[in-house]
Amino acid sequence: MLRIEGLSAGYSAKPVLNDVSIEVGAGQFVAIVGPNGAGKTTLFKTISGIVKPSGGAITFDGVDLLAVPPPQRAHLGIAHVPEGRQVFPSLTVMENLEMGAMTESGRRDWQANIERIFEWLPVLKERRDQFAGTMSGGQQQMLAIGRGLASSPKLLMLDEPSMGLAPSTADFIFERLIDIRRQSGLTMLLVEQRVAEALESADHGYVLEAGRVVLEGNNDTLRADDRVRKAYLGM
Amino acid sequence: MEGFFQALAAGLLIGAVYGLMCVGLGLIFGVMRVINFAHGDFMMLGMYTAFYLFTAAGVQTLFGNTVGPFVAILLAGPVLAVFGYFVHRTLISHVSGTRTASLEGEGHYAQLILTLGIALILQNGGLIVFGSVLASIRTPLSSSAWELGPFFDMSIFLNKARSIDMIMSLVVMTLLSLLITRTRIGKSLRAAADNPTAATYMGIDVDRAHRTAFALGCGITAIAGGLLATNYPFHPFVGLEYVIVMYAGVVLGGMGSIIGAFWGGMTIGLVQQMSTLILPTQLQNAAIFAVFLLIIFFRPQGFFGRMVERT
Repeated sequence: MLRIEGLSAGYSAKPVLNDVSIEVGAGQFVAIVGPNGAGKTTLFKTISGIVKPSGGAITFDGVDLLAVPPPQRAHLGIAHVPEGRQVFPSLTVMENLEMGAMTESGRRDWQANIERIFEWLPVLKERRDQFAGTMSGGQQQMLAIGRGLASSPKLLMLDEPSMGLAPSTADFIFERLIDIRRQSGLTMLLVEQRVAEALESADHGYVLEAGRVVLEGNNDTLRADDRVRKAYLGM
Repeated sequence: MEGFFQALAAGLLIGAVYGLMCVGLGLIFGVMRVINFAHGDFMMLGMYTAFYLFTAAGVQTLFGNTVGPFVAILLAGPVLAVFGYFVHRTLISHVSGTRTASLEGEGHYAQLILTLGIALILQNGGLIVFGSVLASIRTPLSSSAWELGPFFDMSIFLNKARSIDMIMSLVVMTLLSLLITRTRIGKSLRAAADNPTAATYMGIDVDRAHRTAFALGCGITAIAGGLLATNYPFHPFVGLEYVIVMYAGVVLGGMGSIIGAFWGGMTIGLVQQMSTLILPTQLQNAAIFAVFLLIIFFRPQGFFGRMVERT
């Protein structure tokens, strides 16, 4: 569904991504793990068009994504749940969800989507009229995920949903994501620093270090790898 | 006492129009974060557009002397909105929105110079095209008044034209706030203002949202300008007199708050009229800024300014 080939990108002269190739098949749950500054967020921003790549190709559902203007990419079915949540603080929870549903499919499926989102993330239903800026970090993260789901995406991209959250909240959000994935069969691309949890639930994983893919494989291969065990799993 | 209530009434009438004027600027600033120095001159263009629509384009013959001016003023709104749309498309968009990422200071320096330049071109262009003679959009209502009262032996006189100005201003303001709070377009404007990057992730074209805000802001201020012109004569440099008031209103209301800009403008109208009770007319503007400083001293974020940090 999403195929990234030989992607290089960076801010001004300094390259952040170096010849990165990643593939996400339909229905797959792919995790990209790696330390701070490995280029994970830049990779997502390049997919969404906020960062322009210096080389390589991205195709989504057979479409050359780099030729699509950034605001049009969401309409192709890519939902980006950004790092640090980035909800719209002066909009209410409901309005934030409506912004997620700006896409044609999001508008068409609005009623069904909103029911499912409220079922998965009931806190959003309770706080539907609250301004997003006044919610806690965990609630904002759930809103960011709900907002992504409201677009009826083909691919949900999650950028560190556990960032800045208490471990118990992060665990809860992870469980929700796994539930959502199990019930909807949605294709997901996850970037995470919580390597153990990410690799446990993903079908396929990539390890990104200093802008390069240093390792890839299914979760058994990755978790059996000595370097991953030492560096990320603390074994 | 009678003088006090008379000044209060006059302040409310003019304040509503100032409020609308500030809302036009507040919308542009709130959504785009662009300091538009030319906004007073867009208003001047709105005044002349209303003037020529009334006198030269047949609105006078069609609607007569009483209703005609108000029809012309309302029509000036869409005309200036279209003008603003093209100014944004051809000029402002180069130094704002998603193109600013690579510019020094997010394009703010370029915006200052560009909008100042547009202001100069409009002012001096206006001088060439319209001439330096004072113009006004007078209606028979401009020089007649309704008498309220008498309450306890005192009557308050409301200038008819200004009263209609206030009502029209409130109607436009209500329509705008419905647009901003209830419609998909309005919500996407607010989302683009809150977080342009996240708005792009949602599939909102931020540059187009900016263009919409700029066009709307120009149209609304043009209507406010036309309403002012029913009582105040104008000339090509009139924008300078008002742009300062507009900024004071926007800052008072709280940067980024559209409803706040209305109340900021209202406050300025009230202060201006009330100050005539104790100060000579020449000091009206000094009084506005004395009160402005006082309010900002105690409430630096303005009436409706958000202290909630942007995520």
